[in-house]
Amino acid sequence: MGPAPAGEQLRGATGEPEVMEPALEGTGKEGKKASSRKRTLAEPPAKGLLQPVKLSRAELYKEPTNEELNRLRETEILFHSSLLRLQVEELLKEVRLSEKKKDRIDAFLREVNQRVVRVPSVPETELTDQAWLPAGVRVPLHQVPYAVKGCFRFLPPAQVTVVGSYLLGTCIRPDINVDVALTMPREILQDKDGLNQRYFRKRALYLAHLAHHLAQDPLFGSVCFSYTNGCHLKPSLLLRPRGKDERLVTVRLHPCPPPDFFRPCRLLPTKNNVRSAWYRGQSPAGDGSPEPPTPRYNTWVLQDTVLESHLQLLSTILSSAQGLKDGVALLKVWLRQRELDKGQGGFTGFLVSMLVVFLVSTRKIHTTMSGYQVLRSVLQFLATTDLTVNGISLCLSSDPSLPALADFHQAFSVVFLDSSGHLNLCADVTASTYHQVQHEARLSMMLLDSRADDGFHLLLMTPKPMIRAFDHVLHLRPLSRLQAACHRLKLWPELQDNGGDYVSAALGPLTTLLEQGLGARLNLLAHSRPPVPEWDISQDPPKHKDSGTLTLGLLLRPEGLTSVLELGPEADQPEAAKFRQFWGSRSELRRFQDGAIREAVVWEAASMSQKRLIPHQVVTHLLALHADIPETCVHYVGGPLDALIQGLKETSSTGEEALVAAVRCYDDLSRLLWGLEGLPLTVSAVQGAHPVLRYTEVFPPTPVRPAFSFYETLRERSSLLPRLDKPCPAYVEPMTVVCHLEGSGQWPQDAEAVQRVRAAFQLRLAELLTQQHGLQCRATATHTDVLKDGFVFRIRVAYQREPQILKEVQSPEGMISLRDTAASLRLERDTRQLPLLTSALHGLQQQHPAFSGVARLAKRWVRAQLLGEGFADESLDLVAAALFLHPEPFTPPSSPQVGFLRFLFLVSTFDWKNNPLFVNLNNELTVEEQVEIRSGFLAARAQLPVMVIVTPQDRKNSVWTQDGPSAQILQQLVVLAAEALPMLEKQLMDPRGPGDIRMGPSENVALL
Amino acid sequence: MVARRRKCAARDPEDRIPSPLGYAAIPIKFSEKQQASHYLYVRAHGVRQGTKSTWPQKRTLFVLNVPPYCTESVELQEKPDLAESPKESRSKFFHPKPVPGFQVAYVVFQKPSGVSAALALKGPLLVSTESHPVKSGIHKWISDYADSVPDPEALRVEVDTFMEAYDQKIAEEEAKAKEEEGVPDEEGWVKVTRRGRRPVLPRTEAASLRVLERERRKRSRKELLNFYAWQHRESKMEHLAQLRKKFEEDKQRIELLRAQRKFRPY
Repeated sequence: MGPAPAGEQLRGATGEPEVMEPALEGTGKEGKKASSRKRTLAEPPAKGLLQPVKLSRAELYKEPTNEELNRLRETEILFHSSLLRLQVEELLKEVRLSEKKKDRIDAFLREVNQRVVRVPSVPETELTDQAWLPAGVRVPLHQVPYAVKGCFRFLPPAQVTVVGSYLLGTCIRPDINVDVALTMPREILQDKDGLNQRYFRKRALYLAHLAHHLAQDPLFGSVCFSYTNGCHLKPSLLLRPRGKDERLVTVRLHPCPPPDFFRPCRLLPTKNNVRSAWYRGQSPAGDGSPEPPTPRYNTWVLQDTVLESHLQLLSTILSSAQGLKDGVALLKVWLRQRELDKGQGGFTGFLVSMLVVFLVSTRKIHTTMSGYQVLRSVLQFLATTDLTVNGISLCLSSDPSLPALADFHQAFSVVFLDSSGHLNLCADVTASTYHQVQHEARLSMMLLDSRADDGFHLLLMTPKPMIRAFDHVLHLRPLSRLQAACHRLKLWPELQDNGGDYVSAALGPLTTLLEQGLGARLNLLAHSRPPVPEWDISQDPPKHKDSGTLTLGLLLRPEGLTSVLELGPEADQPEAAKFRQFWGSRSELRRFQDGAIREAVVWEAASMSQKRLIPHQVVTHLLALHADIPETCVHYVGGPLDALIQGLKETSSTGEEALVAAVRCYDDLSRLLWGLEGLPLTVSAVQGAHPVLRYTEVFPPTPVRPAFSFYETLRERSSLLPRLDKPCPAYVEPMTVVCHLEGSGQWPQDAEAVQRVRAAFQLRLAELLTQQHGLQCRATATHTDVLKDGFVFRIRVAYQREPQILKEVQSPEGMISLRDTAASLRLERDTRQLPLLTSALHGLQQQHPAFSGVARLAKRWVRAQLLGEGFADESLDLVAAALFLHPEPFTPPSSPQVGFLRFLFLVSTFDWKNNPLFVNLNNELTVEEQVEIRSGFLAARAQLPVMVIVTPQDRKNSVWTQDGPSAQILQQLVVLAAEALPMLEKQLMDPRGPGDIRMGPSENVALL
Repeated sequence: MVARRRKCAARDPEDRIPSPLGYAAIPIKFSEKQQASHYLYVRAHGVRQGTKSTWPQKRTLFVLNVPPYCTESVELQEKPDLAESPKESRSKFFHPKPVPGFQVAYVVFQKPSGVSAALALKGPLLVSTESHPVKSGIHKWISDYADSVPDPEALRVEVDTFMEAYDQKIAEEEAKAKEEEGVPDEEGWVKVTRRGRRPVLPRTEAASLRVLERERRKRSRKELLNFYAWQHRESKMEHLAQLRKKFEEDKQRIELLRAQRKFRPY
């Protein structure tokens, strides 16, 4: 579709608002057709629209007060900008608990305290004899193996203490948890309770009895069990108030041993506390070898002993400084947006609080710092250190009896010791989780350093769910397969340590395996953390396989992604055997061009889309080979959307190859044009100006060779005419190419004459191309069509000064001034801006191979919603480009799928009214320029289109959205995107087959 | 809109065809086969006193709602316009046809009686008849396509003649300008042009702006910055005012975001 004449546009645009608000228009001005957008935007007086600030001179230049100066200085020193300060304050207000609610929670806590200490005691029985437990309650623990020697009796807790973030004032809404430690009386415990889960059995029974009694109390709305941090040996009891406060607060009861009951030296990471003889009913394999250490089991026991001391440490440091508390709250929001704090082995708020304490103790953070500075310092620390290699410790004493850091590194992947020097706070954190935290911190630091205007928003307000953050995602299901995997990987000691939790035991080795296999294709591998279940006290605790699905996210590295070859060592090297063992039957000996004979793995992939899915082949092969997980249990979500941009005939390629073929043909043509002899002026530049030439045409053109029997010939014009009785000929889209000629003073300076001269050039071009290269051409006054290799190129000769000639207006005094006219703007757009944009996006495609797929999916979707008419092709391409140039807080997408999801997210959340979308092609706009453009945008908002896209070449006018969309169409798109995004994400995250993803116009409202 | 009106017409009895006030409706059909008809709305062309119109009064018939398939023999326009249609015949190569759609027509009769006869027409008129068939469907597309293939020779000839005329015009102008150069007019003024012995700046806006800019820069180079105490004070005040302005802007943005509940993190 060519640009429609201006009159048509205006009529189309004015139509609706006039119908909608006749009362407002009514009088007079109907003759004024000045853009209706202006009216739709300006009419409702500034509702939700930013206005340029107007301050009177007196207000601006009045004498400053001391207070004002102080605040300004503080802002300058402690925050980045006044905007950031205000934003941070606003956010904290939102997540903080109000005093009123605090009072209600305090009252509830007092009630809980009273009730807990009044629970009646029971006489002593054998641990295995649980007949005394009432019928309505089940022990919240898998008692495997069941037989444990020892006795249990219930006595009310010796002490009830509130621990955790509630007292510190760093807990954040919406889910407020108050942790309460119940110190079990010493009489309940016996010597050697730390051994063979006896302590945990007693702890569970203690809770079961407590639960039974509290459940009968009308004070509580719900009483249920959960696991402490997902550790399934350590249940906790959740209490929620009855009535309208039910959602306000959750009180978690954690039984813990009396102080100094366990001797820390028994719980070192090198010690064994779960005997093989007891756990497996046999002595350890290979008699005489020592018992395997149980570091995680030991940690779980230790964690219960230090609840109070940690609280004391935290409160001494944090309570004095509001900035530190703010910082911790911000960090918690940061973690939560990235889904890092939830589930088993998450990087919890407690961990970051301890990290803040560590940084205070090492003087990296000062207590006078603001919340923002604390956030920044912690992120900086996370981004630049590696706790998997160099652990850190809060312990200051240099007691030689303390265990060495190296011991902890041996046992755990991430090491951060607490002040006692015995407990690793990061014991449950897997290496993958930690790397993900590091990666996020690095990205965030980059974002903060880039001084982006909406840094706050991207950092703290934008959620990063796994499906939108990672290029490919795979689901392992059912989880029970992992049990077999543990046996295949010989993980018995780990199972013993984890108390039979095969998911946690297998997670580490599996991620290491995949990381090794994916090698250069991978930037980051992350895994979902099993969610922490809650269950009713009358039910058995959920089994390990009940935690649903294990989801792995792959962040791919585009450079290594598409290589089909995995190069191994030379055949005679000792590593060759290892390589063969790792890749199994896929490894073969190959002879390479340089004469080397090497082990290598070759994957089958013909097209770009298949190459992008090589990780799928790698993952299924490795999981089947090493972990006994069959292909049916691996649900790989990487390319379900590819089908939507596949042509009808080919199913293996998503069109990248066809686009490359067209572009190559265009390159040939431009070479021919450059070398053309006999033109009065030589060709100085050839530029593409068509979506194909920037790789964003949804369905790339296929070369057409007409069958002559289907046509009659128009002999005198050497053309073919379709025949009535034959099928309709294929449509061939001409690809526009703009051809600039060298400068010359000979051009006439009159618009009409320039047109004629251009026409003469078009004729000459056709003649020469036919003569010198035998190409079929057809010249018209404005362009020359060339048939080359089955593609049709439409060459338009352009004269650089023509737009200027069209702009010239002579005033009565003879002064020549330049005024934009519709014709000059159109010409400028078609011959200057469009080629520039096309070459810039062509360059972008070379940097980010996924760009083509994302842009095409996006356009396909918009058109399937029947909204394509409202959007210029270029505007959608630019929105897609923005996803690659400004990916924050993500990384640039490496697969069309994730790019498309982010397109939907961007479209549905972007505030088009108050912000221009910056597409900083080639990074030409500086930060200062962006600020300037933004203020210019606010001042001229009413004159600008509803959707404003700013590029370095187009800083003010938003050329590509001038002709649409209208406010209504844009709104429709936003609504549809907001609907489609959760639906699509749900489908992609559901491992039971990716459902049906359709994009046809018929079902456009129903689905995508 | 057309469809809606047609429906109305079908419901009403034949004699009362709804039409805009002051217009007579003439039903037309594409061919015999069609049941429903399309309506042309006609009235005698008349303008308010004092407005000039190039169309002859009394003899002109003004027709609304001309369907896109009526193309022959009358001058068609996209919008009503008082001026006579293009003075010179335009080149078909350089001024492609306007976008098709419903149009208006001015029909000039030789005698005023023709207008009243047309107003009294009952119809339905047929557009496509045996003797003058109007092409439709694939036939039309093929013929349109055949028409769209230009004849390069004709184009070349047109370009050449135009350029010849243009060159001639330019040469004449130049000769005239040369003749006048340096010759004072009756008041004694001499016109200075770019082509003279001592060329001057072109009289364009850009050029004059450039001169002004150069002047300004020259002046600002001479000024001293933050030299006097009052200058210092003022620049400080200016900085403070900037900060205040920024602060106000930020506050407004925050207010807006708060209203949109943008601070609810999840």
